[in-house]
Amino acid sequence: MSERRLMLLHYVTGLGILITGAVHIWVVFFTVPLDQTIWETTMLFDNHPFAILSVYRNALLASTLWLLLVFTTFHAMNGIRVIIMELIPDERVMRAAKWLLIALGVFLVVYGTRTILIAHSIR
Amino acid sequence: MQTLGRQRRKPPQDSSHLYPRGTKLYHVSRKGSGQNSRIQRPSSTVTVLKTMLVPVRYSVERWSYTLQRVTGVVVTLYFVLHVIETGNFIGGPTVWYVPPYDFAKAYYEHIKEFLHNPIFDVGLVVIGWMVAFHAINGLRLTLAHFGITLGRPSRVEPEAPPRSFSTLQRAIFWLSIALAVFAAVYSLNALMGVFAR
Repeated sequence: MSERRLMLLHYVTGLGILITGAVHIWVVFFTVPLDQTIWETTMLFDNHPFAILSVYRNALLASTLWLLLVFTTFHAMNGIRVIIMELIPDERVMRAAKWLLIALGVFLVVYGTRTILIAHSIR
Repeated sequence: MQTLGRQRRKPPQDSSHLYPRGTKLYHVSRKGSGQNSRIQRPSSTVTVLKTMLVPVRYSVERWSYTLQRVTGVVVTLYFVLHVIETGNFIGGPTVWYVPPYDFAKAYYEHIKEFLHNPIFDVGLVVIGWMVAFHAINGLRLTLAHFGITLGRPSRVEPEAPPRSFSTLQRAIFWLSIALAVFAAVYSLNALMGVFAR
């Protein structure tokens, strides 16, 4: 993929993270009553509207989490690639870094998708 | 022999006896920037890293650049750990099937106890600051990438300091700092109940 398209995707995924991340932050932080902490509400395992399993069982929130996972993975891996390119402008280093970052990105998406799918099904 | 260093040598007033006929001023001033001079020599990774991480001699534009990269790297490290850590909701990394409810709950409660300490809470407050700054400053960079908020081009004054921020961009940068502080304070309260109790 050309550098121009990669950077365009970088900015598009950044905007996607802003939207899906806002939903995630809202669920984790802004649903907490002022007289309680996160550990007393959103870190509960179950039996609360915004407990861990409740969020994963909600198909819309779970889909948002998956999109956040994919957007953030691409954005983070491409961001690291850009920083490495600025620090070490060497073609061999860039080629090695590219495959390492692709491998790490695939691992993160597969592992995160596994968590979301299985947590969605726990009853 | 006198070394030039980074300073440009000014040609003498009457340079006809030193330089061939037809030599322009910029030819003379660039004489020290040949292949082996310090000016053209590529910077080492250490030098680049040092100027990237500690831009003490530079303007707020450079601080914005440095903070965007540092927060990006730290938030990426957090993201990798967060994806691995949330795998504990279903019973850890070895579970690739739907586990019994009680097994998943017992495993999660064990991990939750481990994570519930002030060190991780303070770490999350710092991450909250970094995420908010990276998000708003990243929005500024996105707008700039598509040509928005750049302002109208103007004449470059010879003695003016170099500037890349427009007034609006500068405002968004300081807004990102302010919102990042708010995010840190809010997460401090949400994690540890500092202000509510």
